[in-house]
Amino acid sequence: MRLHFLELVWFSTYAELRAERSRSYLGLLWWLVEPALMMVAFWLVFDRILGTGGPGYLPFLLIGLVIWQWLKSSIVHAGHAIWMNLALVRQVRLPVLLFPLVALLTDSIKFGVVFLLLLAVLWLAGYPPNAAYLSLPLLLLGIGTCAAGCGLLLAALMPLLPDLRFVIEQLLTVLMFLSGVVFALQRVPQPYADWLAWNPVMVLLDAVRGVLLQGAWPDGSALVRIALPLLALAMAGLLGLRWLAPRYPKIAA
Amino acid sequence: MDMLVRLQNAGVAFHAQRRFGGTQYWALQDVSLELRRGQRLGVIGRNGAGKSTLLRVIAGILQPDRGRFWRAEVSCQLLSLSLGFVPHLSGRDNAILCGLRLGLRRREIDAQLGEIQAYAELGDFFEQPVASYSNGMILRLGFSVAIQVQPDVLLIDEMLAVGDADFQVKSAQAIHQRIHAGTSVVLVSHDDDKIATLCDSVLWIEQGRSRLYGDCDTVLKAYHAAVPAATP
Repeated sequence: MRLHFLELVWFSTYAELRAERSRSYLGLLWWLVEPALMMVAFWLVFDRILGTGGPGYLPFLLIGLVIWQWLKSSIVHAGHAIWMNLALVRQVRLPVLLFPLVALLTDSIKFGVVFLLLLAVLWLAGYPPNAAYLSLPLLLLGIGTCAAGCGLLLAALMPLLPDLRFVIEQLLTVLMFLSGVVFALQRVPQPYADWLAWNPVMVLLDAVRGVLLQGAWPDGSALVRIALPLLALAMAGLLGLRWLAPRYPKIAA
Repeated sequence: MDMLVRLQNAGVAFHAQRRFGGTQYWALQDVSLELRRGQRLGVIGRNGAGKSTLLRVIAGILQPDRGRFWRAEVSCQLLSLSLGFVPHLSGRDNAILCGLRLGLRRREIDAQLGEIQAYAELGDFFEQPVASYSNGMILRLGFSVAIQVQPDVLLIDEMLAVGDADFQVKSAQAIHQRIHAGTSVVLVSHDDDKIATLCDSVLWIEQGRSRLYGDCDTVLKAYHAAVPAATP
């Protein structure tokens, strides 16, 4: 059963990637074009027009946007996954975890490709690989856990609270501005900085930038502080899904 | 004979609206049945009696909200024709995806792909995106995959004879063959002849409750006596 589930997850992910490639003219190129377009927009506003960017703002922004794109896509796609597949849930006995899991895996594979390109671009821009790169898997695992926790929680709730679809984009925009995607934690005045230091996305993003741009090892105490909320979020998502799963096939079509 | 499925006073409630709370209605109120290995059980009743809901309970898709449900460690498959085909994927990839969703292992599907392609009569279209298929082609592909699955209990909601006239004969034969091969079957149908020919026992459901269970002759006669409009 377990092996069968893995085969199903893997093939569904492959199917999703194949389908995505066929759905638009640029296909997989959109993985690169989308963060690039966002980078140009934010660079124009914050650096050129407002003048708040500062030196090295472009690589700073690029890292933030590439990681944010992964987090946001994962949460949105995983969040919609069960709701979009309710017809299938009514027809066949499948573990509902399959749907958000496939969405998370699809977005993570796309992110993997884009992140490797990001490393190459940073190297060309004068930020070569360094020893602190060894901490990247742990930091990315933290961001992945955050995406999975939020995505699973939304996936569990959306079939019963479909109105969430209309607020999810706005909530994520607020989260983006509270996570230091376009500005550094150091630029936030007190006492807001102390509050934002509890935001796992902000802490992890700050740590990734430190590794890639300054070769700095992550702050262990900050990572320990956010570990518990991250795990609690992921557990809440899994438990919510498990608790509500029997209700999905009984929801009105 | 081994017991495969047992339902005791089972009830299933649906939510009338997509939201927490909201009103419930009981599609199945109080149904009891026992299914043994090799048994071919027919289920009859008027529209809205709860027959399809009962099949989905036995398939494990729905959990009863009251009563008891027990199933041995066996596979129960509801014969479905189109389990969410992805339009941009080829017939081959959709066959694999559909087979996995029906519980087949990848190596089993790979071994049967040639047979699926030939059975569906799709020719070179098998490698083309399903988006370019006609409705008949989609149904043929769905049936060809579904019939490859060999569950311990086969659940059929009305007879699924699909496609053009030739394929209808072919698909009906495949289902008859499967039923007579010794697989346990639960068949929901409004067709008395099919029930009498294919089943060895019948359960009559009325407004979500078991009304009568027994041999085909007795139950069908009682059903038509009580529901004259259902007499063929």
